[in-house]
Amino acid sequence: MSFLLSLLIFIPLVGTPLVYLVGRQNRHAGIYLTLGLSVITFLLALYSYWFVYVHPPALGQYALTEKYTWFNFQFIGLDYLVGLDGLSAPLVVLSSLLSILVIIGSRRLIDHHEAEYYALLLFFEGSIMGVFLSLNLIVFYIFWELVLIPMFFFIGVWGGPRRKYAALKFILFTFTGSTIMLLGFLYFYLGMPSPSFDMPTIQAMIQNHQIPVALEYLPLLASFIGFGVKLPVVPFHTWLPDAHVEAPAPISVLLAGVLLKMGGYGFLRISICLFPQASYQYAWVFLLIGAVTMFYGAIVALLATDLKRMIAMTSINHMGFVLLGAYATVASGSPLGVEGAIFQMFTHGLAIGALFMLSGYVHEQAGTREIPLLKGLKVTMPRTAVLLVLGSAAAMGLPPFANFLAEFMVIAAGISAYSILGVTILVPVITSGYFLWFIKRSILSSPEEGATRRDIPKPDALAIASYLVPLVILIVFSYLIIAPSVPLAQFIAGLRGG
Amino acid sequence: MNLLSVTIIILTASSLGTPLFQLLDDKKSKTPAYILIAVLSMSLVLVGANTIWPSTNASYGGLLGSDAIGGFFALATLGVTLMIVVASSSYIRGANSPIYYGLLSFTALGMLLLSYSQDLLMLFVSWELMSLPTYALAGYDKKRVQSNEASVKYAIIGAMSSAIILYAISLTYGLTGTTQIIPAVKALASQPFNPLASVAVILFIAGFGFKMAIVPFHMWIPDVYEGAPTTVSTLFAAATKNAGFVAAIRVILAFATVYVLTQNPLFTLANVIAVLAVLTMTLGNVAALTQKSMMRLLAYSSIAQAGYILVGFVAYAYSRQTNSLFAEATIGMTGSLFHILNNAIMKGVAFLAAALVLLELKRGDLQAYNGLGKRMPITAFTMTIAFLALAGVPPLSGFWSKLLLFLSVVNGPFAWLAVAGILNSAFSLGYYAWIIKRFYIDEPESAEKVNEPLAFIIVFAVAVGLIIGLGLFPQIVTNFAPSAVKNIFPG
Repeated sequence: MSFLLSLLIFIPLVGTPLVYLVGRQNRHAGIYLTLGLSVITFLLALYSYWFVYVHPPALGQYALTEKYTWFNFQFIGLDYLVGLDGLSAPLVVLSSLLSILVIIGSRRLIDHHEAEYYALLLFFEGSIMGVFLSLNLIVFYIFWELVLIPMFFFIGVWGGPRRKYAALKFILFTFTGSTIMLLGFLYFYLGMPSPSFDMPTIQAMIQNHQIPVALEYLPLLASFIGFGVKLPVVPFHTWLPDAHVEAPAPISVLLAGVLLKMGGYGFLRISICLFPQASYQYAWVFLLIGAVTMFYGAIVALLATDLKRMIAMTSINHMGFVLLGAYATVASGSPLGVEGAIFQMFTHGLAIGALFMLSGYVHEQAGTREIPLLKGLKVTMPRTAVLLVLGSAAAMGLPPFANFLAEFMVIAAGISAYSILGVTILVPVITSGYFLWFIKRSILSSPEEGATRRDIPKPDALAIASYLVPLVILIVFSYLIIAPSVPLAQFIAGLRGG
Repeated sequence: MNLLSVTIIILTASSLGTPLFQLLDDKKSKTPAYILIAVLSMSLVLVGANTIWPSTNASYGGLLGSDAIGGFFALATLGVTLMIVVASSSYIRGANSPIYYGLLSFTALGMLLLSYSQDLLMLFVSWELMSLPTYALAGYDKKRVQSNEASVKYAIIGAMSSAIILYAISLTYGLTGTTQIIPAVKALASQPFNPLASVAVILFIAGFGFKMAIVPFHMWIPDVYEGAPTTVSTLFAAATKNAGFVAAIRVILAFATVYVLTQNPLFTLANVIAVLAVLTMTLGNVAALTQKSMMRLLAYSSIAQAGYILVGFVAYAYSRQTNSLFAEATIGMTGSLFHILNNAIMKGVAFLAAALVLLELKRGDLQAYNGLGKRMPITAFTMTIAFLALAGVPPLSGFWSKLLLFLSVVNGPFAWLAVAGILNSAFSLGYYAWIIKRFYIDEPESAEKVNEPLAFIIVFAVAVGLIIGLGLFPQIVTNFAPSAVKNIFPG
């Protein structure tokens, strides 16, 4: 099945108009069609993950590659090139898995323009697959931009009261970041001795020392802006709290669970692998920014009173771990950091996805997301309360959730790079602090008198719970995620001074 | 008799024939429109065939030359005119409609001849043939004050630019003794630096710059676009503007080795165009952001697009001047031609969509566009695609032309131009997204559905198909463009 990866991209994309047309006629048929296509995509993603797990590609190589010439003009050659490795495989699985959760949650939380909504959902899924699978810089950029369009409408059409502002802010930040990134790519491309947009070709050139180090600095800066806006890092993060607070809960799941991963993926795949020397020289800057982002996210989350804002800031905090882990490997040469970063992206996606979805149910029932006003959820919404406590425990990095392992690996790698980075151990402490405080204030307190709320429906509760189960499994069988990422981690570790 | 001659003859016949319908009793008959649609479709086929299988035996005494670049512009301008005529068949209502179509036909003939002109005098004559009918067209709504104002303003500015061009032509003739473009420029290049030659270049830039809508010759644009009947504004923004570009490509770019003003390395043609490009795109985008009326917004965004197109001119002029970077020059000019074509489609359809909104809702302010996605779903979708393409969002056609344009200058002394262009693109999404937000996110003032006539829907469907199709298969244009680029300055 050499066209497996194209199926992952194009099943959702081709499904977009179908779902729109079917959904306009019959609401349920549209939803079930979306769900069916997503499940198929998920199964294919799982199969491709298994393939990479069993046949791990060699260092700097990719599995299941497909290559077609798309555009050929003068010295511009553009290939549709897709491939899979230990970095993209978990993210592909994560994206398709979260898409299913989003569809399940949206049945109850989205109540208007449903045909358009589910069509855009599939469009989003297909584009995000394209981002993680393309190995050509321009095709990567095209999918990267395609992701923005559905997200703009998700926030703008189905969002909260300040949705117009949030949607515009989102698209202006990310579009500006990504056009600057594109400019960096073009500059890099034209400076190469034999220009190519294909990442494997560029990596081979780097290993043969054909690319001058001086060429790497500006593209690294440009890609830092592009990916830094998405991840996001301080100071490019200001769009995120607005987007998250205004977006409907299922879309927050996609934002935090999938969209932010694009930034982490970009840092690992492009900033580090394609600009290794410059990355090595400036690793300390990225480590510093990563650490600042972690602390900033945690401290602002501590001050947040809106439940969703708190979870959104937790995402910033956790994405800081990804940046820190990635560059800890670059700086120290220990593969632990990259492995931890990939593991962190996967576990964060599941835990935060579950939490955002729960916040949507809480908001729908209680009519508010203000933590001081939410009282006694353990009595009024017992199932939700249990899930919220479990999700919070996962986000805090409490064993037996695998998030603990991921954060541990990243912090350990950080220490091996610069021992001062040991201070980042305080971040999980702060995170635990605000989650425990939230649990105390909103869940364990006594409810207001006469407050009756409908609890989360059992099937939905089961669905959300099933997203926390892999986290418990993965702390024991962590090699399921880590093993495929080892070649990449060693590859990045080997880039140092190479 | 070759295909180009046939095209010229049938367009002349329709220009002279359609106004005769004014003599009939049924002055509101749509027959002139249908005749012009048939003639323009035939012309498109003929010109297309002539471009694919060029006829070598046509000489026209050196006045016209049927080369690839002429074919490209003839196809682009006639195609836009066809779009406009189809839309006009349900937009233009009034007793003078046969005259309207006759004037449109004359303009189309002028643009066709201009595309193929090889001689400065032929170029000037076709320039006038194209321009004179448009002055009358701008005032077609004779009972509206704004339309009259637009007409007068446009006529004065147009006459001035014609005079400037004519003076530049006379200088060129005086210096070289010929009005043939290529021999004249070759003769100039072999002479020592002559200040009069640079005066001629400056005058050419100013004269053509009015039509191309480049800063600082842009002041008339928003008023005229807003005042003229909207289908006529479409003609200005998407067709006669391209005619300005073909004149600039043929004449100004041929002067690439001539210094502007003084023999100072700062005053090369590439530098001058680069500065104009940045000014044009920046002013256009900044001004567009603050507009309250759709027509003025589109007018300023049209100015910004002219700035992007100039980027390829810079790459070409620099390459000619330094005798290096030939691949970049080809990429840049291909980007310019591609963007001219894209701009014709994207801007053309955006203007026509705005025309439909104006026709149905009788309003042109941005407020009227709130909730358009519910009221006029096809129009809103078309405009959304056109705006996304104008902002350069992949994989629509506008992305590829901008990619080629910026790629052509990013490696060399004009890298700052690529930075400026990319930042402008990002900035422009600000106002495009703002409008798209109005379509789909803001609540409409009234929920009633609005009729969308079939003629407009056909035009929208074709244009959206082209924007997406050229985005997925950009090779269609880029395979063809290099042969056109070779025509700019053979040898």
